Amino acid sequence: MKTPVISRGVAATALALGLTLSFFGAPAVAQTIKIGAPLALTGGLADEGKKQAIAYDMWLKRVNDAGGITVGATKRKVELVKYDYQTNEQRAQQLAEKLIVEDKVDLMLAPFGSGHTKVVAGVAERYGVPVMATSASSESIFNQGYKNLFGVLAPNTGGINALLTTVSKSMPAVKRVAILGREDVFPKSMATTMSELAVKAGYQVVSSEFYSVGTLDLSTPISKIKSLKPDWIYITGYSKDLILARKQMADLGVTAPVVTMITGPVYKEFIDALGPQAENVTSMTWWHHSAQFKGNDPWGSTKAFYDQFVAQEKSDPDYVHAASAAALVALQKGIEKAKSTDKKAVREALASLDIVTFYGQIKFSDNGMNGSKELPIIQVQNGVPVPLYPDSVKKGNLRPFK
Amino acid sequence: MIYTQVLANGLMLGAIYACIAVGFSLVWGVLSVINLMHGAFIVLGGYLAFFSWLHLGLNPFLMIIPVALVLFALGYGIQRYAINEVVSKPVLITLTVTFGLEMILYNAMNLAFSATPRRIVLDLGVVDFAGAMLPLDRIAAMVLALALTGLLYLTLRTSKVGRAIVAVRMDRDAATLMGIEYKKIYAITFGLGAFMAGACGAIVAVVFPISTSLSGLLLGKAFVICVIGGLGTVPGALVGGLALGIIESFAGHWLGSQNAILIGFLLMLVLLVVRPTGIIGKKGYE
Repeated sequence: MKTPVISRGVAATALALGLTLSFFGAPAVAQTIKIGAPLALTGGLADEGKKQAIAYDMWLKRVNDAGGITVGATKRKVELVKYDYQTNEQRAQQLAEKLIVEDKVDLMLAPFGSGHTKVVAGVAERYGVPVMATSASSESIFNQGYKNLFGVLAPNTGGINALLTTVSKSMPAVKRVAILGREDVFPKSMATTMSELAVKAGYQVVSSEFYSVGTLDLSTPISKIKSLKPDWIYITGYSKDLILARKQMADLGVTAPVVTMITGPVYKEFIDALGPQAENVTSMTWWHHSAQFKGNDPWGSTKAFYDQFVAQEKSDPDYVHAASAAALVALQKGIEKAKSTDKKAVREALASLDIVTFYGQIKFSDNGMNGSKELPIIQVQNGVPVPLYPDSVKKGNLRPFK
Repeated sequence: MIYTQVLANGLMLGAIYACIAVGFSLVWGVLSVINLMHGAFIVLGGYLAFFSWLHLGLNPFLMIIPVALVLFALGYGIQRYAINEVVSKPVLITLTVTFGLEMILYNAMNLAFSATPRRIVLDLGVVDFAGAMLPLDRIAAMVLALALTGLLYLTLRTSKVGRAIVAVRMDRDAATLMGIEYKKIYAITFGLGAFMAGACGAIVAVVFPISTSLSGLLLGKAFVICVIGGLGTVPGALVGGLALGIIESFAGHWLGSQNAILIGFLLMLVLLVVRPTGIIGKKGYE
């Protein structure tokens, strides 16, 4: 078959151009840094996944608008490679593998929650890719011996100790605690840790029970709690479980001087769904915007982050937003410190990172958790979460639930 | 006193379970189609009731029939134009079709409503009966769930359409020879299953927070209840629902809440071995 003349001409020109460029040297184009992010944009954790996505995009725009991340002498733009894993653990695992093998990401972010973080961290560890957890606080995940897993949330124990301190100071007569936890990684860890630490702190744990993941109704365990007449009711679960638990407490006439729900009151949807029934429920969180920091990050201060978020989303950020943005800040600072995107070098830089950001201090312990944060305790007062602890952010006193 | 409360909790939950399962059982029994959309239909009914309450201030109990009619139309259309095309194929084909449609409906609801749990605030108060606290919204939900189940039973027993459904269930070919258009009856039956799911969704939304993540859970419950009570009969779904509600309630009290669901599944397994038709299962609706 005869080759058209024009094609031969184009080919010859391209060849000549290629040879010329290779002889004189092509202009240097800094390679984009790729960060992989499996997100639950649909399915049961879609709300949390979308919160992560909002914070990621805020960070990405801010960093790329400033030219990118400084890697040695050059600035390199960032690309976030995001996939929806549909709140499906197996899909998260497959996508983590795809991000590393096919998309060849430099670094990874973990999905929402301790359970799915564990799955993605396992894959990343196999390939030696540093992975930053945005919202995993169960120490059991970080005590698996993974060398590449880091997380910006502080361990659960810190929050529970802060809660015990707050209650014992304000209500010393409270002694009998009833604990009900969802049988799932994070809520179970929060319930078992509370059982252990409450006993150590001198409380009497009158019941400690779990409910299965597929539980539709909580009236039976709540009836049981009622018969025990505790001073403190402590329930862990996700928003849907906690909204149901609070409603059924009201239905069954169950009350106590202190009612804690982990981490319901942190979320706007919990307060919106319950209205007045959310009043005086206490909880812990990993971040509250009233704790003000100035730091060397794309925002520079908590106020700047808060202001941008409120202007963009017309609502207050919660810890998921802040921790998700902080996770990317930590990766950014790790790259800057390593002056490279080499996975091993970034991992080593992250291990010795010690920075203050809009989110607070980020300094990873030996197991990869951010151990340096003092966790706020909050209580819903007049329809909004009010920080009670630590003193640096305190805006109210603990009120009795009933 | 605590046992009165545990029994009351079980009965109130069991009535809702019966309502959850009855439409699923009907479709499975008549069409031999395992409708994997059933849980999503209930959730859609719940959302329709929730948004009617939120934006129009309509009482969810008054919305039961309108919501159910919307779901009937949806169910009728799906069966008429999609499932009827493959209804005579092996069960795996219809299972796959409903699985695919469920994914579309589930993700459409996620996009439209988000996964945020929604709750209808309808605190009607509580009555103290022999030491058991009975929330009036749950009592109303229980009564309406039982009434709807009874209504479906009467429809199948006494109406012309009901008898046609039973006839098709018993022998499709013989029913066709008698002049019954079986494809139309299939569409009506699937529509009735969706009607019951929609009505149940409006009831569920009063008692539990509604979220798209409930759909799989509700479908699982419907499956277990059908196996326990017996497939293809309204009384089977009623007995299965009440039995599961009471068993879960007492198992939760005695063995801990984490074991309540396990006990329900164990009962299902035992029945599958010793009485595969379920407690009162039988062929047809005679």
